[in-house]
Amino acid sequence: MPCLSGSVFAAVVVSVVASAPAPLAARIDRLVTAGHPGYLSLASPPASDAEFLRRVTLDLTGSVATADEVRAFLADADPAKRARLIDRLLAGPGFARRMAQVYDVWFMERRKDEKVPRAAWEQHLRAATAANTPFDTLVRNLLSADGVDPATRPGAKFYLDRDGEPHLVTRDIGRLFLGRDWQCAQCHDHPTVEDYTQADYHGLFAFLNRTVLFPAPTVPTAVLGEKADGEVTFVSVFDRAKRTHTARPRLPAGETVAEPRPVKGQEYTVAPAKDVRPVPTFSRRARLAGRVVAHPAFARTAVNRLWATLMGHGLVHPLDLDHAGNPPSHPELLDLLADEFAAHRFDVKWLVRQIVRSETYQRSSEVSATVPTDRLLAAEVRPLLPEQLAYAVLQATGRVDAERAKLGKAATPAAVDAALAPQVQRFRAKFAAAPGQLEGGFTPSLDQSLFLKFGPTVRGLLDPKAGGLTRRLAWVRDDRAVADELFLSLLGRPPTADERADVVAMLAGATDRPAAVAEAAWAVLASAEFRFNH
Amino acid sequence: MGTASYACHTPAHRLTRRTFLGASAAGAATAFAAPGAAADLAKGQKRVLVIFLAGGVSQLESWDPKPGTDTGGPFRAIPTSVPGTHISELLPYTAKQAHRLAIVRGLNSAVPDHAVGEQIMLTGRRPEAGLEYPHVGAVAAKLLGADAQPLPGHIHILPAGGGGGFTKQDAAFLGPQFASVALSDGKPPADLLRPPTLSEAADRQREDLRRKLDERFNRSRRSAATEAYAESFAQAERVYRRADAFAVEKEPAAVADRYGRHDFGRHLLLARRLLEAGVSYVKVSHSNYDTHHENFDFHIEQLGEFDRPFAALLDDLADRGMLATTLVVVMSEMGRTPKINHLYGRDHWSAAWSVALAGCGIKGGAVVGRTNATGTAVTDREVTAGHLFHTYLRAVGLDPAKNFYPNGRPVPVADPKAAAIDEVLA
Repeated sequence: MPCLSGSVFAAVVVSVVASAPAPLAARIDRLVTAGHPGYLSLASPPASDAEFLRRVTLDLTGSVATADEVRAFLADADPAKRARLIDRLLAGPGFARRMAQVYDVWFMERRKDEKVPRAAWEQHLRAATAANTPFDTLVRNLLSADGVDPATRPGAKFYLDRDGEPHLVTRDIGRLFLGRDWQCAQCHDHPTVEDYTQADYHGLFAFLNRTVLFPAPTVPTAVLGEKADGEVTFVSVFDRAKRTHTARPRLPAGETVAEPRPVKGQEYTVAPAKDVRPVPTFSRRARLAGRVVAHPAFARTAVNRLWATLMGHGLVHPLDLDHAGNPPSHPELLDLLADEFAAHRFDVKWLVRQIVRSETYQRSSEVSATVPTDRLLAAEVRPLLPEQLAYAVLQATGRVDAERAKLGKAATPAAVDAALAPQVQRFRAKFAAAPGQLEGGFTPSLDQSLFLKFGPTVRGLLDPKAGGLTRRLAWVRDDRAVADELFLSLLGRPPTADERADVVAMLAGATDRPAAVAEAAWAVLASAEFRFNH
Repeated sequence: MGTASYACHTPAHRLTRRTFLGASAAGAATAFAAPGAAADLAKGQKRVLVIFLAGGVSQLESWDPKPGTDTGGPFRAIPTSVPGTHISELLPYTAKQAHRLAIVRGLNSAVPDHAVGEQIMLTGRRPEAGLEYPHVGAVAAKLLGADAQPLPGHIHILPAGGGGGFTKQDAAFLGPQFASVALSDGKPPADLLRPPTLSEAADRQREDLRRKLDERFNRSRRSAATEAYAESFAQAERVYRRADAFAVEKEPAAVADRYGRHDFGRHLLLARRLLEAGVSYVKVSHSNYDTHHENFDFHIEQLGEFDRPFAALLDDLADRGMLATTLVVVMSEMGRTPKINHLYGRDHWSAAWSVALAGCGIKGGAVVGRTNATGTAVTDREVTAGHLFHTYLRAVGLDPAKNFYPNGRPVPVADPKAAAIDEVLA
């Protein structure tokens, strides 16, 4: 009954709009609706309250709601409760933690923490999110830092933990901030993507090729230095005549940077010498950050990545192949988001609020028939990020509460997170993509299933002797109540009658009741419904 | 221990449809095989065994002896089962297998360094900033592996203390399901077996509940990813049921004797068991050939340990009809300097050294490439690690010119600047 569902949904959204006008959210829905013939009759109905609560909590805090929060939300009769929930989550400490995790993966792609320690980097990103630092400022700071000043050194991680390798940095600035994976263009124009040229690649490279790690790339305390010379030339491997071209610093479709004519003897403010960090009079690298964030592709790439984070799929997909031959699924929507994001001074919180308020975001992930996957007809089923998975497990099994209780009055969000960090690291080590590989997609590997199935981390969290959820439930006599609590805690919803009966059957006649409760909890934790945001 | 029963009565074995869906979901998620990779898969179960003489074996004490020269060292060259072909006297058993071996004597692998050399030899490419290439083991696991293979497709057997567990890096963009599982001293990873606190009955019961939950969830939210997730538990179950493949101690004593009662013999025997169980790629590392001093004493010791089990393995594979479908490669990360240093050692060297091949797709008895009289330069048919990488692929019936498509970008399976060494291919 898709039509009926549509009208129910309309009622919900009207009430949201009435309580707090959400113009961009509504414009998103209008463009999505216009993006497919018969959209409203094909689209999935609105997500149930429980489905919405779990999804938005995972997206905005990186964890799951407690059983009590689920009960309260389901019982709340206020028609504006979804908008209220969104506001509460965006204002809470979970949002800074979640965005710090998202940015960490975006910017560093699981590279090793060799020159900027993880804790300092996470703190840097959290502080930026907590202050709602505009996204362009955040990125400009990353690309401007040289690692010398301890106050800004964490941001220099982008360069430093890529060893300042100019080709790697060129490639990643192209991918992460300009939406173009132009790796191929290092040696020749991209064979299949006309927009990615070797000249553009080397134009960006020319901002970076004079940058060196001082004193050496292998030193953990290294900082960035820069030479005053070094021209970029390139030859296409496809060119039989082997013509040499020179590249000056320039972004794609941008102006070449005007460089003062070097005066002999005055090329450096600090001249290179043994054990001296060279500082040129004119720094090419210093011209890069402002140009990247002002580039038209910057806002577009940023909103596409934010959209993918919340919706599971970029409007341009893959995220780093934005070019004429791979158009966005909804071109006008991408333009609208990019324009509005820039017009709102790159305010991430504002944009996130608008997206999660949309009907599009709030659709159910349940589909009744085969529908195209890229038309935003239903919410996408997407795997939890390793950190989301860790926090969801730690929250649902009671470990977060235990750490909070242990800390007592000192239980600030930061202190609780610090106490959980070693456990989170175990999940990260198992579930994170390999360094430098694009995170996303879903490729479960054997070690991950063994980690969940037999590994000591998950078994330890579910061990009734260790306290937490299973210990509490082991003493509940009513099997049906145990089933309800397991589902509310782990899946954020009450069980169906069938599911309740299944759990009751598993507990009935168990000789070791605590163990049986723990294994039932494992089955729910290992289910796809837990592993995915849906 | 939980080794009670390996009989195939588990519900996991009924999930053939899911297996298929899971495999395709996993493939679609990160790296895409070129169109037509499925045709390669259909060619039957081929496997690759790499015996990695870690530290850098001396070509002069093995495949390319130069007796009686300044650089040749004290050992003689001995005739082999191939008339006219001589190898070092340190390899008497191997010499009798020469008719099964192809020896490449003109290898220039470019970088005389342990880490970079290993990367070059295993990826067939020089390192490039910003792009990691998959190791040959990950490529073999992806392109040779059967859909519902019970065991991981990419296994390393390391000496004791060599570190064990799962590595992500060596599969690069092919994705973690093709990354290596390392067995330190041949021991399976810690979580492979059911912990003693979980009875088989309890495990079955909880798996039943998990499956029921997944079936309900997937009914209205079918996606390749959720199917792949369900399949990953089925795979864990299959590995667990086939854990006896790791139990090298179950080999008859006479067989173990032929391989030699030492770690390397045991590791090579384990490799044979794993290949028999359907693993696509096994790499056995034998340490340590990094002989900067006392090169000759160490090579007597090391190659003395290598020689017999290697010959026994080739005989075993041939007897079982597996040699025709198993490519065997003996390599290192580099060779050793012809110049003998003042500590009677040989140092790092990549300019002119040798690799031996046998089995699937290899022309037994072939000797390709030549070095000069003192082994200081290649004088005929110089090849790179890239040429070898092409050769491995061709030997097992794969097309090196095909592309992977990580993130939509074409990346040739093997370095397009190189080509297979046709002279060693059957």
